[in-house]
Amino acid sequence: MKDMNDNYLWDRSGEPDPEIQKLEEILGTLRYQPRTLAIPPNLHLGRRRNLFPVMAIAAAIALLAVVLGLWLNFNRRQAPAFQATTTPPVVQPSQPATPTPSRDDRASIATLVKSPKQISVPKQREVARKLQARNSSSSTRTVIRQPELTPEELAEKEQVLVALRLVSAKLNLAQRRTQGVPQLNIIRNQHKIG
Amino acid sequence: MLEAEATADMLLMTQPFTAPPVVTEPRPEEVLVTAVLNGERDRFARLYEMYAPMVHGILLARVPRGEVDDLVQDIFLHALRKLHTLRDAAAFGAWLGMIARNRAMDFYRSSRETVEVTEQMAVARSPNRTAKEILDLICRLPEAYRETLVLRFVEGMTGPEIAARTGLTPASVRVNLHRGTKLLREKIGAIA
Repeated sequence: MKDMNDNYLWDRSGEPDPEIQKLEEILGTLRYQPRTLAIPPNLHLGRRRNLFPVMAIAAAIALLAVVLGLWLNFNRRQAPAFQATTTPPVVQPSQPATPTPSRDDRASIATLVKSPKQISVPKQREVARKLQARNSSSSTRTVIRQPELTPEELAEKEQVLVALRLVSAKLNLAQRRTQGVPQLNIIRNQHKIG
Repeated sequence: MLEAEATADMLLMTQPFTAPPVVTEPRPEEVLVTAVLNGERDRFARLYEMYAPMVHGILLARVPRGEVDDLVQDIFLHALRKLHTLRDAAAFGAWLGMIARNRAMDFYRSSRETVEVTEQMAVARSPNRTAKEILDLICRLPEAYRETLVLRFVEGMTGPEIAARTGLTPASVRVNLHRGTKLLREKIGAIA
């Protein structure tokens, strides 16, 4: 193995290395022989795409979306939390003009009007408390305060509901009569009252 | 107190050191690539003249000699067609070299019938080696050395020229030349 002259190998400077010169001489016969490049006339040259306008539009849309989102978020926070405070309905303890239904009517009304369920006051309060707790957990929801009714008020409410049901049943009965539809649930063998 | 204030004023008023801007002239291939992209198609002929030996050498280290000339033409036409995809005009040489290497791989994928030259076949030949035989020996060296040796001995390029054309660092080219030549000498000596 002979010592190589690195400089000659690198850039042909310095003392020539006979072995390398011989290699150059032999392999030089395979060197590239210049030929003209025949470019076909119909060769389509691609154009460099200018992506700046597309990128600018995309950036503007993204910025707009961000600004819109921030604005909506800001507005939602600024708006006062809606609290629907319903005042307890004042029901005057009026003496409803109790209608004097006829004998036939009484029977049909008795079937139509069902006795309202007795809702206990502690149970209702418990439900109201649960609702309030559920609402308070989410800050975005509106808080609806349930009115707390006294037993007297509840009794009055029940009275009004019974009156409404009675009126509704009577109207229903009148409508059936005018249309000639046979009355429902008429108990034939009932005894006279009073 | 006054001295401290004066020092602070001096520090605040002192202009930050800025190195003078280095004005580098664009390399010839940069100018040519830009000109071709601007519609001057004829300028591509100059790029072809400059880089055809490099492409020829890269192909010669990989594909049979009879295929090289046609492939060189194909590669340059492909490069002209795709020139708009080149981001950095200064990297034209490295980009073209990569196209040539890929095309050489495609050549072997498409051609099924290949004849493998074995060591015994090379030994059986006469001691007066021809260029083809030495080229075969080079082609059996590791890939990193093969290309550099062909560009140096076949195409007659110097180390700095190889580095400038292929985009490799001069240090890499120097190492490849040194080790590749050593290996080639060993192979020639073993056969002789």
